[in-house]
Amino acid sequence: MDYHLLVTLVLIDYNSSKNMTETIQLFITCIIDTLYPEIGEAVVRVLERAGVKVAFPPGQTCCGQPAFNAGMRAQARPVAIHIIQVFEPTNGPVVVPSGSCAAMLRYGYPELFADDSQWLPRARALAARTYELSEFLVDYLGLTDLGARYSGPLTYHPSCHLLRGLGVDHQPRALLSAVRGANFVDLPHAEECCGFGGVFSAEHAEISSAMLQRKIANISASGAPVIVSCDAGCITHINGGLHRQGKSQRVVHIAEVLDKT
Amino acid sequence: MPDAFHAQIRTALDNPGLQAALDLNAERRLNARLQAYTSLSEDALTLRRRAHAVRAETIAHLETYLDQFIARAQANGLIVHRAIDAAQAVEIVMGIARLQGARLIAKAKTMIGEEIQLNQALEEAGLTVVETDLGEYIVQLRGERPAHILTPAVHLRRADVGQTFHEKLGLPFTDDVATLVAAARRNLRQVFLDADIGISGVNFGVVESGSLCLLSNEGNARMVTTLPPVHVALMGIERLVRTMDDLALMLSLLPRSATGQKMTVYTSLIHSPRRPFETDGPQERHLVLVDNGRSALRVSNLAEALYCIRCGACLNACPVFREIGGHAYVSIHGQGSPYSGPIGAVISPGLFGQAEFGGLAHASTLCGACKEACPVDIDLPELLLRVRAGAGKPPSAASQPDPANHAPHTLQWGLRLYGWAAADERRFAAAQKVAGLFSRLLPPFSDWLRLPAWSGWGLSRDFPRPAARPFRTRFQTMDREVTTAALETSQPPGQSPISNPQFPVSASQPPLPRLSTAFLMERFASELTALGGTINVCQPAEIGEHLLTFLQERAISSIMAWEGRQLPDGLLDALVEAGIQVSHIPDPTARAGLTGAVAAVAETGTLVLPSGVGRLQSATLLPTIHIAILNSRDIYENLPQVLNLREVREASSVALISGPSRTADIEMSLTIGMHGPAEVHVFCLD
Repeated sequence: MDYHLLVTLVLIDYNSSKNMTETIQLFITCIIDTLYPEIGEAVVRVLERAGVKVAFPPGQTCCGQPAFNAGMRAQARPVAIHIIQVFEPTNGPVVVPSGSCAAMLRYGYPELFADDSQWLPRARALAARTYELSEFLVDYLGLTDLGARYSGPLTYHPSCHLLRGLGVDHQPRALLSAVRGANFVDLPHAEECCGFGGVFSAEHAEISSAMLQRKIANISASGAPVIVSCDAGCITHINGGLHRQGKSQRVVHIAEVLDKT
Repeated sequence: MPDAFHAQIRTALDNPGLQAALDLNAERRLNARLQAYTSLSEDALTLRRRAHAVRAETIAHLETYLDQFIARAQANGLIVHRAIDAAQAVEIVMGIARLQGARLIAKAKTMIGEEIQLNQALEEAGLTVVETDLGEYIVQLRGERPAHILTPAVHLRRADVGQTFHEKLGLPFTDDVATLVAAARRNLRQVFLDADIGISGVNFGVVESGSLCLLSNEGNARMVTTLPPVHVALMGIERLVRTMDDLALMLSLLPRSATGQKMTVYTSLIHSPRRPFETDGPQERHLVLVDNGRSALRVSNLAEALYCIRCGACLNACPVFREIGGHAYVSIHGQGSPYSGPIGAVISPGLFGQAEFGGLAHASTLCGACKEACPVDIDLPELLLRVRAGAGKPPSAASQPDPANHAPHTLQWGLRLYGWAAADERRFAAAQKVAGLFSRLLPPFSDWLRLPAWSGWGLSRDFPRPAARPFRTRFQTMDREVTTAALETSQPPGQSPISNPQFPVSASQPPLPRLSTAFLMERFASELTALGGTINVCQPAEIGEHLLTFLQERAISSIMAWEGRQLPDGLLDALVEAGIQVSHIPDPTARAGLTGAVAAVAETGTLVLPSGVGRLQSATLLPTIHIAILNSRDIYENLPQVLNLREVREASSVALISGPSRTADIEMSLTIGMHGPAEVHVFCLD
């Protein structure tokens, strides 16, 4: 074998196995983008502290879930196609700091294009590289301790699409258990839905409100002033109810907790 | 203007009694289910996925299996009818009733009977139809529909039932559950004895043997399939399993999911009408196989809904069902459906029409609690989304532009606009800017907006004010002081999830080794005792003496019994000699029934009693005390072993009995001795 070729191959192999900084593509989600840019900034800082380089494809908008969930697939498809096209030219994992949007990319897109031979493989390719934030940190990077500190009681609301949709539960709990100084308390009936359900909250506002009331009662019973969630939808819904009722507890995004060192 | 569905929802939410009843149901059932799942021989998810695969294979080849099943059932001696729709099914049953000159019909719970509205048709023809499941009886007296697949009177409290019995049956008002159950037992007992026809549903049809499998805790399904001279079984065509092993798998999941029991008290396997020289059982058995839209559903993208085994677990788990109950699930014009909750929101539009029932699928947050509870792992959130997208037609049609959507028009227009904006980043960024600026003009000038109640959101929630500068404009300029790669990774990227001792993943357990008779007997005894039965282990030589003492202590002087040759030698002679009267035909006055048992299941405390010549089935049904004599070497470890016994597969019918008759139809309050015996005593010969 040509000696120079051998050296080149060895070097390529050495460089790729070396702990090179990996670049991830951040899909920030429309809710965090529009309503909570400070959560987005916390997400970026947490990811960078975890050792990855964060890229933000500027063409991104919304995942299309609102129309998809309302049964308006004809309206959801152009949005999904747009997102696929935005991420297609990029490399590396797509990290989404919200369980339901990650579930939309992973399971919703393949369903949306189930009968479309042109877009189905492209939807699946995106689905295969999509990770929810806590899943990415724990399962992909193998990290649980990000050196975060927090003082006082905390509890955790497992959002439905994260817990049952993606099957992600031990990951955020492991990340929170590693936060120094945090006193983790139980949220009664934690796995029950908060009643958001996207368009459901407007279409069936009365049922949604009754479910939210149960969640708020359980939050009060937990005694924790701060509730952690991995889904901006639940955060908006529960905080909206807590604020309306003049209650002082607040739901925060997991990145906001992990961001504090 | 709100449609009938929304109006029903409002009524339900305004009824605090309903909320309390539904809470009670959800808490009891969910806890019982979780508890029961711990006793499974394998990991629950593994079993649920296997059950899913079994159902999928059966539904995929349904026509072939139906042909085989029908051929077997006919060979067994059943008269098989096929009905393409509800009208035909009703006509078939009416025809049987006319031919028999029937006047009184005793009916066990059948969802398909509700679906084809059989009672109304029979009553219009002048027949008296009496529902015999306690919950069904209560709602029938009230002129209501069942509010739950499994627990028809789930919406009522005990005082409501007391009031109903007072008004309709003339009983003095009481809210004592035991008194109410006893009153229902008395009234319905006469119906079983007098009925000309018994009508039941079918839980499973077994293809390889042509068996009909029926489950009942109260014993009413056994009564209506044993006592009246004619039995008519109604069955949806999708309700098939291929083999006894498939049946055993379904039976390991169905009662656990439905009521948290390892086995339903009575599992009946029915093969044929009464055979020559048998002393009870109907002379004629009919099976009516009903399609009513199922064949069309099978070739649509909602086919998975046909995997459902009707356990009701998704209703119990559903947070929306818990708020509104089963009666709220109506069409836009107020037509009820027997199927409510998450599965009902798929089946009702799937079978009865998208235009009328499609709106039901919108009453869900897609939280997935239903999928998690489903014993056959049906992806209900996905199916609900397909209904919302206008599914229920063949897959090709589902990709067409959206048909009539049940979402309100304002919402649809809003989502159209949002979708248009989100398909292009310039439009999206412009919309964000407008939202950020516009929201700043609205009072109050804080971080929160207060939207009006009619917006839906504003009913109970405030809304965070959109950021003046969205994340996309902040990303490039954000403060990036953190050093990258500061932390050590404990694992190279992209490898499998780390195991975390705090969150252990349960692994499936290896199968149990072959067990000794002594161990099996001990297990059987502990399961039976837990169910409320008793066990008395004795030597074969002592059985006569023990049994006589047992009867004399209770002052029992007459019994119904299997014939002498089906029992230990000389046993009946000894009893007769001691002055006990023994009857070998159905005797409604006998206090005790004496039988053998050809087998028992250790894992579930179940006795196995096939019918046959000299084996009176009603000896385990009519008396309040059932005494069974079991040989310790006939105790098997698990259900599949006994389902594959020749005697079980060839009997005209088989009763698998797990403890005394019971009901929890009034306020989830467990009451022993509904229709069948209140006591089960086993004398085990060792």
